[in-house]
Amino acid sequence: MTNIRDGFIVTEKCYHCNKKRVFFSYEDVPPKDEYKEGEHYWNYAGSAQSFKFDMECTNCGKTVSFEALMGLMHCVGCDARCHMNILSQICEGQNVWLFAALAYHLGSEIDLPVENLEILTDYFTSRLRTPGKKILVVPGSLRRDPDICRGEMLKDVGMLSLTPET
Amino acid sequence: MTVKELQAKLDLKPLNEASDKEIEGAFISDMVSDVMAGAQPGNIWVTVQTHKNIIAAANLVDIPAIIVVRGKQVPEDTLQMADRVGVTVFSTDLDSYSIATKLYEAGIKPAG
Repeated sequence: MTNIRDGFIVTEKCYHCNKKRVFFSYEDVPPKDEYKEGEHYWNYAGSAQSFKFDMECTNCGKTVSFEALMGLMHCVGCDARCHMNILSQICEGQNVWLFAALAYHLGSEIDLPVENLEILTDYFTSRLRTPGKKILVVPGSLRRDPDICRGEMLKDVGMLSLTPET
Repeated sequence: MTVKELQAKLDLKPLNEASDKEIEGAFISDMVSDVMAGAQPGNIWVTVQTHKNIIAAANLVDIPAIIVVRGKQVPEDTLQMADRVGVTVFSTDLDSYSIATKLYEAGIKPAG
């Protein structure tokens, strides 16, 4: 893990069409401005401290960018028909723990390339000490409906009380 | 030292079942992102946070136990998730500095 950059995951909603978008802000305080962009009227809907990173191969020194990755999400089993939930239940029995890589480009959710998912899987699994345990990082699109998903994204909930308000 | 042995040595209050997993080193932080980037597998994690994503982070990094300081109430859904992934959660009325001192005296060194 290299090039660690701190910042905020910011969520905005259009009060016209209810569309949601997520982006990462490197500013000291998350932006809370309301603004119009095309057909949308974007409003601040929340933020949490988090970080971005890239991955560097310790053998060859190659660095792979994870700029699109917003965070890893742990399934809480909220939707019985969700593929992420079904797969999580199957895997947990074998001590394999699923994390969905939630990635965004221009505010919209995308899937990371398979190669990047494999890099994260290998990295986090290689650090484990518990025998037989494995981490499997899967694409965010495994979730049946991102709008109702209550999965736990790894971010710093409740830390904003420590951040000065503008 | 195992999680169970540490519980007895420091007189910690377990909020779920203490495991026999080995503890190696300690990490103190209230930021999940900090733990993902800096904690080592086997570390015991000292924090004031009680949200259930601390359990997801502990599972990702292979942290066997968390000590929640300053007597913070840990929500039931956090403990349910801890049971699911096999992470022991302790509670103490001490602050981070005091519990860090006790961990050091018990032979638990910083992460690294």
